[in-house]
Amino acid sequence: MGLILFYILGGLTLVAALGVVTTRNIVYGALFLLVAMSGVAGLFVLLFAEFLALVQLLIYGGAIIIVILFALMLTRTTDFSVATEHRRWPMAAVISLALFGLLAGAAIGDSGDYNTYQRSGISIEELGKGLFENWAVPFEIASIVLLVALIGAIVIGRSGEEEGGEGDQG
Amino acid sequence: MNADFTLLIPEFILAGAGFLVLLVDLLLPREQEHRRNAFTSATAVLGLAVTGVVAATTQMNTGESFHDGLLFIDRYSLLFKVLFVGIGIAVVVMSVDYVAEKMSHPGEYYALIIFAVLGATLMAESGELLTAFISIELLSFSLYVLVGLSRGDARTAEASTKYILLGAISTAIMLYGISQLFGVMGTTRFTEMGGLLAAAGDWDMTLISGFVMVLAGLGFKLSMAPFHMWAPDVYEGAPTPITALIATLSKAAAIALLLRFLAEVGSGAVHEWRMPLAVLAAATMVIGSLSALPQTNIKRLLAYSSIAQIGFVLVGIVPNTVIGANAVLLHVIGYAFTNLAAFTVVIIIELKLGKETIADFAGLSKRAPVLAMIMTGALFSLAGLPIFAGFLTKFYLFTSAVDKSLEWLVVVAVATSVISLYYYIRIVREMYITETEDESKLPVPALLGLLAWVLFAGTIAVGIYPAPFVDATNAAVTVLTPWVAL
Amino acid sequence: MILELAHFQILAAALFCLGLYGVLARRSAVMVLMAVELMLNAVNINLVAFSAFRDISIVTGQVIAIFVITVAAAEIGLALAVIMRLYRRRGTVNVDEIDWMKG
Repeated sequence: MGLILFYILGGLTLVAALGVVTTRNIVYGALFLLVAMSGVAGLFVLLFAEFLALVQLLIYGGAIIIVILFALMLTRTTDFSVATEHRRWPMAAVISLALFGLLAGAAIGDSGDYNTYQRSGISIEELGKGLFENWAVPFEIASIVLLVALIGAIVIGRSGEEEGGEGDQG
Repeated sequence: MNADFTLLIPEFILAGAGFLVLLVDLLLPREQEHRRNAFTSATAVLGLAVTGVVAATTQMNTGESFHDGLLFIDRYSLLFKVLFVGIGIAVVVMSVDYVAEKMSHPGEYYALIIFAVLGATLMAESGELLTAFISIELLSFSLYVLVGLSRGDARTAEASTKYILLGAISTAIMLYGISQLFGVMGTTRFTEMGGLLAAAGDWDMTLISGFVMVLAGLGFKLSMAPFHMWAPDVYEGAPTPITALIATLSKAAAIALLLRFLAEVGSGAVHEWRMPLAVLAAATMVIGSLSALPQTNIKRLLAYSSIAQIGFVLVGIVPNTVIGANAVLLHVIGYAFTNLAAFTVVIIIELKLGKETIADFAGLSKRAPVLAMIMTGALFSLAGLPIFAGFLTKFYLFTSAVDKSLEWLVVVAVATSVISLYYYIRIVREMYITETEDESKLPVPALLGLLAWVLFAGTIAVGIYPAPFVDATNAAVTVLTPWVAL
Repeated sequence: MILELAHFQILAAALFCLGLYGVLARRSAVMVLMAVELMLNAVNINLVAFSAFRDISIVTGQVIAIFVITVAAAEIGLALAVIMRLYRRRGTVNVDEIDWMKG
């Protein structure tokens, strides 16, 4: 059962990802991205990481895609075919395929070593404890990272005192 | 589990200083830009100084790991903490006149410099991959914003875009590497990873891919070949004080992290990574030096020069010895003084003459003899000529490599050093020999002039009286000695 | 065949490499950003899968994944602001037209 679900969700994610990187219409690309993100969220559920799946949907689907769509709207890419034409795509394809071969080969060859063939999840309580007790310091640092990003988006987005273009921070 | 937050007091002060600067900027009336500039920069310098003093006085003897290895508060991180705070103060002082003329958000600017210093400090203290990653992001984000902050021309917008896109890509690659390493070892703490790797036999492909990708990500931050492409354009397009910050702070922080990472995690299997890293070091030195030759823009030239300098530093990291580590740390200190001095002079030229090509240095010896002398000192130090920091530190770096049968690397290093002499001397020649029509005296702003003097003194100090610095680096390296060979 | 770690690893690798292709081949800066998002999601799949298939499942993997999502969100907000500013100055977000190598 798990395997079937995996193939469905995984296939969906990969097809959508392919759509993101090959489509000529950039808005379609953003929508493909949304589908891919949702597929990944489904995969998280398959891995018993429900909280993460929820966070994935909320932040990626709810905030990031929205921001991207706003940015597309504001940069007025009406000239779709020019904007999404591929450059040097043969070399890019070769590099990507080579890397994939490497990583997939590594996965097939080695995964027996640290694989228990049993998926187990983590309770939200454990995750919360981990996040706020063990990893409290990165957590605090992350809050400053967000502050910096916020300052940056506002100041750069508004630079030149021109109207419009406030970075929509999710 | 040691969760003694008093160990983190300097970091708290630093973060607080950043917020304080923002608050001061908020409370002052918007129109009085001059006052805002003055007050916020003063607050920033004060905050940085207090952090440095508190750290230096309270943490001289600590050798603690915070939270079981999340952060290491020891002499190693103390050395870098003080260095970074010093760099921060220098860049803030460097910026005061620059911000007044060319930029519109003084409060955010100084606060972001403080946050960048905070990120760098945490990078030097990281004992574990997640903390390292998030600290890198803190430093990087602050720099992304700082690069894009000026009332810019198109060049700044381009540099900013390039920087953030390439930074995002390198982060993604490094993260994949982290995930691979985590997958193989089940932990992200350096000490635990080191133990597991030392016990492991052959490295399997997943492990190698993880390592390579993490190093690739760090390589971007370091502008090590072949990940150096972003540096010249970003250096040229960024506001010059920020160029100085990127050249010194982010490189030194990346070196701090890389050195600790390789020492604690990789020492068990040095033979796996020594050769590849040596090859990359050689490539970096060669590419940096050769690409600098045709440059006419001083900021691009300094960018390529700092790429080559990173190659020299890698020569010290590759042997994975105590001597090598000492040499690396000493070189980083000297390199910071030298580059900051050079950039200070560049800023003065830019503010007074408005241009950044080498030809604009013509006749500087007559127009501002003190500046010419300081610039010459910085350039000679970069080239590695005696009495300046560069000579001593390069000497240490090269000898440390000879010890480990890496003589070929030393040959490459010396050869590229000689090549680099050409482009450094070329600037000196412009300053002293080239005739120029305009022989008016160049007025040097007081604050910048003072800063240039202090940095120049530092460059010479490291070169002829390195003892206090060497003591500091020795103490720092003893932290690494459980792992690093003698 | 039962569902095992290698499945997820290969999927993550495929997603990562698709993202890498997008980064290398696409001309619009916003497209490059979307490709980076794909890469970051691949990292997350890798992390969560590793964390789930261990003997005692390890919190670390999921915690790192949360931070990756956080940083990704912040990065996108900032990067889009920068790109929009570029668009205002240059009228284009085409990465080829940003002079990559001026020498």
